[in-house]
Order: sequence, then C-alpha cells, then structure tokens
Amino acid sequence: MSRPAALALLVVAPLAVAAALRFGPDPVALADARPLLARAGEYVGSDACRACHPDQHASWERTFHRTMTQRAEPGAVRGAFDGVERSFFGAAATPFERDGRFWMRMPDGAGGTREAEVALSVGSRRYQQYFELAGAHVGDTYRRLPLLWHLEEQRWLHLNGVFLAPDSDDWSTHASTWNANCIFCHNTGPAPRLVEPRTTPAAAQRADSRVAELGIACEACHGPGRAHVERLSAPRARLAPPDELAIMNPAQLDQRESLAVCGQCHSQRLPAEPEALWTFLETGPTFRPGDALEAHVTPVTCETVSPDPRREELFAARFWRDGTARLTAYEYLGVTQSPCFAGGEMTCGSCHTMHGGDVHGMIEPEKRGDGACTQCHAGLDTRAHHGHEPSGAGGRCLACHMPRIVYGILDVHRSHRIESPDVRRDVEAGRPNACTHCHAGESAAWAAAGLARITGRASEAPRSRPDGGPLELPEVLVSLHAGDAVQRAVAARALGELPDARAAAFVVPHLVVALGDGYPSVRTLARRALVALERELGLGLASELAAFDPLAPLEVRGVAVRDLLTRTAAATRAAGLPPPPAGTLVGPDHALDLARVRALLELQSDHVIAIGE
Amino acid sequence: MKNPDVVRALRAGWCLLAVSLPLGVTLEALHGLKLRVYLESELRRELWRLAHAHGTLLGILLLVFAALAERHVAATRRAAVARDLVRGSILLPLGFFLGGVLNGEGDPSAGIVLVPLGAIFLLAALVRAVPRAADESPA
Repeated sequence: MSRPAALALLVVAPLAVAAALRFGPDPVALADARPLLARAGEYVGSDACRACHPDQHASWERTFHRTMTQRAEPGAVRGAFDGVERSFFGAAATPFERDGRFWMRMPDGAGGTREAEVALSVGSRRYQQYFELAGAHVGDTYRRLPLLWHLEEQRWLHLNGVFLAPDSDDWSTHASTWNANCIFCHNTGPAPRLVEPRTTPAAAQRADSRVAELGIACEACHGPGRAHVERLSAPRARLAPPDELAIMNPAQLDQRESLAVCGQCHSQRLPAEPEALWTFLETGPTFRPGDALEAHVTPVTCETVSPDPRREELFAARFWRDGTARLTAYEYLGVTQSPCFAGGEMTCGSCHTMHGGDVHGMIEPEKRGDGACTQCHAGLDTRAHHGHEPSGAGGRCLACHMPRIVYGILDVHRSHRIESPDVRRDVEAGRPNACTHCHAGESAAWAAAGLARITGRASEAPRSRPDGGPLELPEVLVSLHAGDAVQRAVAARALGELPDARAAAFVVPHLVVALGDGYPSVRTLARRALVALERELGLGLASELAAFDPLAPLEVRGVAVRDLLTRTAAATRAAGLPPPPAGTLVGPDHALDLARVRALLELQSDHVIAIGE
Repeated sequence: MKNPDVVRALRAGWCLLAVSLPLGVTLEALHGLKLRVYLESELRRELWRLAHAHGTLLGILLLVFAALAERHVAATRRAAVARDLVRGSILLPLGFFLGGVLNGEGDPSAGIVLVPLGAIFLLAALVRAVPRAADESPA
C-alpha cells in the first residue's frame, strides 16, 4: 500500500464521524423539540448530565422522582386500561386502550358520557393520576381525570375516595388542572404560563405551559445546568475549583440552604410577596438551589392566615394543635421544628440520599431505622433510655421520635418533626401519641405515668381532648371513633401494626366499626389494618375482608359491616386470643359494647381537610 | 508468506487498525470537548464504542492469523478462512458504526444488519480453522 493511501486511511474514521454528526439526527434538538419542553433558557435536561455523570444519572433514573410526571406512553402508564367499567359514587367510568393510546369513558357532567384521552400521568409509586389535554394545543390546560390507579392495591379508585372528605357523589369535587398545581413540584424548571391569570376565572383558565423536564430531574436539585455544560465543554475549565463550576451540589451547601433544596417542594408554601404569585403562575417559581427558601416563599404553618375568609381553617386544619404537620409535603417545616436541626447539623441528606439506597424512601441501608439516629445518638439503644426490650418494636428510635401521624396519598407516614413523646402535649393537641399507638389498650394517663417512670422526669396526664372524648378510655380507640378524619385515619393505620398481636381481640371489632366510617379514606385504612391482622392471626375473615370494597355504595357496605360485626367475636375467640382487658369496650366474651362506641361516634367532627396533593 | 489470501488478511488487519485507532481517538476527543450532539445519544455512543473496540481487536486478530496461518491452518482451507475472517472483521465494526449513523432514539439504523452478517463470517472462519483428524500437516 502506498504511503498516501495509508495516510488517507487514518482520516477515514474522523471524517466519517464528522459527516455522521453533521448530517445525522441531532439528539439535542430532537429532545428539546418534544412537546411541553422548553430548554431555550437556563435548563439543558438530564441527558446532558448523563454523558459526564453516568453513575449519578443511572442512580437517579431508577427513582420515583424521575417518573413523577410522564407522557401517557406504554411503559409509563401503569393502570389497567382494560375496558372494564368501574362504578363509584353513583356513576361509572371505563378506562380503555385504543391504538396504543389510553382513554377514559366517563360522565360528561350533562347527563351523557364522553371519552377523554390520557395525555399525562402523575405519580408512579403509590398511585398514578391521569390528565387529559383539555385545551387546544400541547401545553394548554391539562385536566385531572376522576379515576386513579392505586399501584400497591392494583385497583382503580375514584378521587373522592382518597382525600380526607366524606362520601360524595359529586364527581367534580376534586377537579383540578395540572398547569396551576402539579406542574410546580412534579416537574423540573416549570413555567405554567397561564394566560392572564389575574383576570381569568379558574374554570376558563388557558395556558401554554412548559417545563425543562417532565418529572423531578437533575436540575431540580442542582440548579439549571446550561452555564455548567457550556463552561465545561472547554477541557481546561474542568480544572477549575468546585465553586466555579456553575452548578450547585446540595451536599456542599450550608445546612439551611441544603434543606431548602428539598424544601422547595417538600413544603407547602406561599409566595413571600403576594404579588409574586402572578410571577409563579406565569414564568414559574423563582427559587434556585443555593438560594434561601424564605427569600422566595413562606412555608405554610398552622398560623398562616387563609386567603379565603370563608375557609378560615384552610391551613390550620392541616396541623395538629401544637403546630406539627399532619399532612404530607410539610417535611421541611417538620425538620426545621426539630431539635436535631435547630441544635444540630441535620439536613435531609443526613438520612436520605438521591443517588443510592432503596428508592422507597431514598434511604441508604445503614441509615434505615435506628441507623438514621445512631449516627449522632449512639449508645441510646438501652432499656434505661426507652424502657423497652432493646430488640423489640418499642426499642426502635423512630417508633417514639418519628411516629406515623401524617396523612397523605392514602397512607399514614412518619412525622418529620423529630422530638420526644409528651403525652399531655400530644393528646391536648389532638395529636396521636406514640405510646398509646402501640399500647392500644391503654389510656393517656397510663402513658403519662409510664413515660415519667422511664424518663425519670415529670410527665403530666392530659386534661382534655379537642374532641371532648373520654380520657379514661384507651386513647387510640377514642381517636379511632371520636377523632377527626386525620386522627381516625392515623389510628386505623396504627392498629394494623400492633406489636402485641394479643391486643387483636379488642382491636379487630373496633376496626370493623371503622369500616363503616363516613370517610372512604378512613375505611380503606381500616380495611388494610384488618387484612394485616387477618394475615398474622388467621381469624377466618379473609374472604369477607377481601370482598369488602371501601368505595362501594353505602347499602352494600352496611350489610358487609353488620355481617363482619356479628362474626368478629366468634372469630377472635376461635383464634385463641386472650379475653380483652377491661376498658377496651369489648367484653370478656369478645363482644363489642356498641352503645358506648356509638357515644364516641357522636363526638366525631365532620369537616373536610383540604390536601394540597 | 506466499498465500495471497493470507497476505490480504495481513493487509486488512493493518488497514482495520489504521481506521479503528483514529476512531477511538476521535471518540475520546468528542468526549473531551463535550460535544452534546455525540454525548447525548446514548445509543450512538454505545454503537460507536463497539465499532472502535471490535475494529481494533479484529484488526489484531487478522495480524495474528497472518502470522500463524501457514503453520496452524490446513492449507486446503487457509484461503477460505482468510476470506471469511477479512469479510467478518470489516463487516462487524462497520455495522456497529453505521448503526449509530441516522439512528433513532431507541433503535440503531439499518446498517446494524451488517453486524450479524459479519458475525456469521467470523464463525464460519472459526469452524473452518479448527484442525481435523484428516488434515495433512498444515505446513
């Protein structure tokens, strides 16, 4: 081979690559041109991060953050669009698939039916909600559809069945749009671009919404990446110190700024200046990672004044009376209220990780459970500290210091206000108490005395409950029947996780009563608790519980609850459970004292708690 | 080295290296310069990496074959083995490269069909090269 021919060979590959890149499809332009995306500004999208940070990209890609909002494509849509009609609250809807696209046939609100095509899905862990494009073009109004798919229960639910509201046949109660709500926290770089929001009524609102990325991606936590990508395309710039990289690393931020990165979404908030609301609705939130959150927004607390004078309780109802959040999405507030934050160095990253561990909770294995606390509080896993068997449920740090008292997404979650139990504070605030949620047969006074014995400090018994319920009865049972919707939901969830299964002899009949609750979400949690107890104890009620639908019409549910109530005493006796202790409203014959339970039910309040979910 | 097919394999080996090694340098440069049009197509990057790796390794294989063929491959099958080896060694990396040209987001382009074709040639060469009891001494 001649020398020129050999030299020519050496440039074949570079020339071929150059030609392919010049004349082939441009992946950047293709991605940026996808509907709903706008990356002309400061955002570049997660694909741009993958090339240089493949491990971080891969660890993020498996999270539920990524799949928080998705286009309605096969693989993303998890619901059973099987053409089967589902009836809820006096009407029916049929999810079905046609030509690889997802649809819902449902009431049109005028006596007929209509078909709505699913355009977006929101959620991918607990439940998935669906949105149709109701406007004229991509980015216009996306309207929430009435049925959602519950991923854990693998069934369709109606929106009226998952929030904290009583049964209602009004299918429009939870009508909502993506553009003015979900877009903010379930996407990256949101720009709602509502059209004249100051003067347009909500029902007629139009939009031309855009996001940098659907779902919660790299730039949500690290800040917009265009400057970083452009700066580092020059190899020499990569030698620059980290603070000149034009990107934010939450792990290197100050405590409060680090917390703010998560708090931009994990806190319900209002614009710091009321006028900024219009900016938010037009060009999107102004907070960027590295900023102080309070410079842009004010987190909602129990003292936040409702902007709607007709709903003074709007915000206050979302908190226990001591100011502790009782709904999800207030984790930022909870952490800032915690001594671990105020007197320590704790941030979200102290326990959670975005790039490792189990995606459920995003916690590394060594920090799950007690490990989260023992990083700083080593050596406290002793009977002297908590008064319980160190290996038992009562010896777990989170059981007492982060009890499950927060409702959200049809479940009950741990409070992020990390503190020690105080029986009087809790009960007088209507807040479920960690002690009595495990010791289900005990009163608040018993818990106060026990706490004083364990801690060696004075612990006063409560003097009243907000609902006026009797203090001498087991606290959790009173909450289950007499409490408001959150108390009842929390109590129902707690009773399904009894550390001492023998308590089931009195817990089961009380939970059966809760199956008749006026709030479908409470019924769902009561059923889950009963199913868990049935699985553990084999009470012989499995088929009845499996058949019980918390969202079925009242006449169907009523028959089922009465049937279960008549069978419960025999079932708990047959399972060999010991006779219930006195004071649990269940007699030695395992029969429920219905008259006294009814008296508790009379105390129940019936107000709706608005959830910003 | 008298067999013209073996000589052709030797030449093909050097040529393949002359193309594949600069390809690797080019890909490194694209990485170094963070060219998004290359970096953001995950599939293209993978296919071109495969093209570079296969081209380089098969180029070396051809050189090794040329060095050993006259002593270790039966004379009756030497030419056929060399032909198959050269065809497979060119088609396989070429298929990977072309698969990354004009590719969509999820699938390689039609050029990828050269990959299984090249693999068949390489397998055929392997089968032919295996010594058999009836073979005379290769030399």
